[in-house]
Amino acid sequence: MRKRTLQRSLTGFWWLTLFFLYVPLLVVVVFSFNAANSAASFTGVSLRWYRRLLGNEQILSAFANSMILAIVSSIVALVIGCLIGYGMYRHRHRKLGWLIALIYLPIVLPDIVFGISEMAFFVQINRLTGVLGPGLLTMIISHVTFQIPFVALIVYSRFVGLDPTLFEAAKDLYATPWQRARFFMLPTIKPALISAFFLSFTLSIDDFVISFFTAGPESATLPIYIWGAIKKGVSPEINAIATLMIGAVAIAAVLSLMFNRQGRR
Amino acid sequence: MAYSGVLPSARSQAMVAEARHLLMTVAPGAIWIFVFLVLPSFYLMGVAFMTNGTYGLPEMPLSLESFKRLAGFGFLGWSPGNLYTLLRSLWQTVVSTGLVVLIAYPIAYYITTCREKWRPIMLLLVVVPSWTNQVIRTFGWMNLLAPGTPLAELGQLVGLVPENMGLYPSNFAVTLGLVYNFLPFMVLPLYAAFEKLDHAQVQAAQDLYASPVRAFWHAVFPQTLPGLLAGTVLVAIPAFGMYVIPELLGGGKGMMLGNLVANQFSGGSNWPLGAAGAILMLIATFVGLYAMRRIGKRLGGGEEVVI
Repeated sequence: MRKRTLQRSLTGFWWLTLFFLYVPLLVVVVFSFNAANSAASFTGVSLRWYRRLLGNEQILSAFANSMILAIVSSIVALVIGCLIGYGMYRHRHRKLGWLIALIYLPIVLPDIVFGISEMAFFVQINRLTGVLGPGLLTMIISHVTFQIPFVALIVYSRFVGLDPTLFEAAKDLYATPWQRARFFMLPTIKPALISAFFLSFTLSIDDFVISFFTAGPESATLPIYIWGAIKKGVSPEINAIATLMIGAVAIAAVLSLMFNRQGRR
Repeated sequence: MAYSGVLPSARSQAMVAEARHLLMTVAPGAIWIFVFLVLPSFYLMGVAFMTNGTYGLPEMPLSLESFKRLAGFGFLGWSPGNLYTLLRSLWQTVVSTGLVVLIAYPIAYYITTCREKWRPIMLLLVVVPSWTNQVIRTFGWMNLLAPGTPLAELGQLVGLVPENMGLYPSNFAVTLGLVYNFLPFMVLPLYAAFEKLDHAQVQAAQDLYASPVRAFWHAVFPQTLPGLLAGTVLVAIPAFGMYVIPELLGGGKGMMLGNLVANQFSGGSNWPLGAAGAILMLIATFVGLYAMRRIGKRLGGGEEVVI
């Protein structure tokens, strides 16, 4: 009897917590369709805030910057991270503690320390040499830095899940290293690569702090634009952009999960 | 390489090939992280020991000025502003971590009592909100706590806030934001611990007529401790250095260490002071990680949680 009461109150607590977790996002989504310019009362459904987005050049350019940043950095991180992941697997019998530490550094460093380190570094490089002024390039470099570890770990864990005799079989059939990479390794880790790409993409879109400190005046991304808009004063327009971003991230995350699961099967 | 005098044996040739392979695969990424993260962090640490020059940029000579400033010693004598910020960061970290534990503990347990096929979906439901951008999630709370909303009116009824005011900016809003932000980080390691729970121990305690409280305290709690500690590290370290949430929900009186550090760089006011604050965060991070490494060896689930 007592046990059932406990279970029932736990169920109640579970739904309450879910409500707590989703209500801030729901509010943003619902009020993006609000006809009135208010965060307190919902007067009717309208798409006026979305229409306004289309006419706002700053938002369109921020959107373009976000996309360029996410796609370019994910591709670069995919190539570099994939190499590391494979290297870690092939040489897993060696002592690679230094490499593991290096790979975990971007993950464990607090965002703000990460961001200002990069910013201080780029500013000084720019003062001394004139290259790497704040802009999309410095942002891409920083994003690649925090994406590499995630790609490397996904690819590494995919290789670990493979049957090691497959590698021997490929060698026994006199496949050249190039052929082995082209016809055996790439196809087998393809799901992991796709999953890693979407994860990197999500991480890049999600990031605010690191982008904020490495951005230049012309390279504001959507989160940076939203930040600026919030600082100027809450407006329903922000709800509309935020809703679009919530949707985009949800799709990318689901794709990442789908391909990761497919790979494990 | 080819004519080094002695003909290399087949074995050492293979070793050279292996080493070259390791270098070719690992070097690009290792060099990338070294150049674009290790060097910048070392530079930042160096900045903390330099003097604040014109335009807030660091200059020689080396000094401990910035650490004195961080402790509150300025041109006008000692003022407690920075120390308050430090203490507030600590306080917010402790309170929000505690609240996160209180919520996550029953949730993680509840998930393990549900049917096995539902569990991954339930975990996913907990994690999904944290995939959205932090600025947007915090903005969601700004909407909820703004003046005129049901929550703010409830706050006025209780007497928490004055008439026609919202629930933010306030320290309360920052705590709420932190708890919201870090809840998934605690649920996952705790869930891993609960899933491995040895029920025989609980059974034994019950057979020996232990009260439910004693059975929990002696048979369940110690077994979940590794997950609890891993979760604490995952929550407390980033909470201590949080920037976005106090900036949006806290206002001037809710400032935390992250804001103190960031302001020194964005306003161009004092790089060495900001760098000194960053060193403090780094120390907190590595102390926390060291603790987690020692515990994590037993748990072995702390890392995928970060993803």
